[in-house]
Amino acid sequence: MGIRSVKFTIDSNLENIPLIGMSVNKLCSSVSFSNIDAFNIELCVVEAITNSIKHACCEESVHEITVVFTLTQEDVTLDICDTGACPMNPEKLDKAVIKPPEINLLDIEGIAESGRGLGIMKEIMDSVIYRSEAGENCLTLIKKLPVK
Amino acid sequence: MEIREEKVNDVEVLKLEGRLDASSAKDVKEKVALLTKENRVKLVIDMGGIDFIDSSGLGSLVSSLRSVNKLGGDIKVSALQDQVRAIFELTRLHRIFGIYDDSDAAAMSF
Repeated sequence: MGIRSVKFTIDSNLENIPLIGMSVNKLCSSVSFSNIDAFNIELCVVEAITNSIKHACCEESVHEITVVFTLTQEDVTLDICDTGACPMNPEKLDKAVIKPPEINLLDIEGIAESGRGLGIMKEIMDSVIYRSEAGENCLTLIKKLPVK
Repeated sequence: MEIREEKVNDVEVLKLEGRLDASSAKDVKEKVALLTKENRVKLVIDMGGIDFIDSSGLGSLVSSLRSVNKLGGDIKVSALQDQVRAIFELTRLHRIFGIYDDSDAAAMSF
């Protein structure tokens, strides 16, 4: 089997995200991922697109977001790209907590409402890489195929 | 996402169905805000019909918990599907929400 890929394109509208999320889930289930792995990979793609729309695209629905799903013999790669005007500071990805800290039950106010997406992606995927160049912001997620 | 509202004694049960994500998270926050305005702050969120949740969905639950906590209330969560429960555990949020097998057990815990 050689390299196979499929490209999805949506307008930067939050309501379009499930279209890609559910498609990626099905694609992952159709290769050798378990249902839980497929759900987790869907979650990471959804987190990445949500970040693109909310932050890079400032929730304007005029931008285009592309997701390329690539399957090789070793892994699945997802490239999530946007042309939003507000790219992420790469330090944010470096600093994202892989294992969220323990929660203090006595300090409910101190528990963050947001900011878990990058940490979730780093925890679930084998590799998370960000680059922003020539007006395009791309997050690449890689997950190795399960050993048969 | 759909939200159905039921009442068990003095506990409000919100039954969610669909995907709890960035586009639906505000619906949960708005529903809880309406209830807290009326000082209805003992809540069960039944997630049996939720087959997908992301960090925005989790954030809406955290935000809702904060708002009822301020008024002396609490939110119990019930009927999590396996993959949704796994995300609660990954983010450690299972430690701040009481999690129950079904909404009756959650309502009885108040």
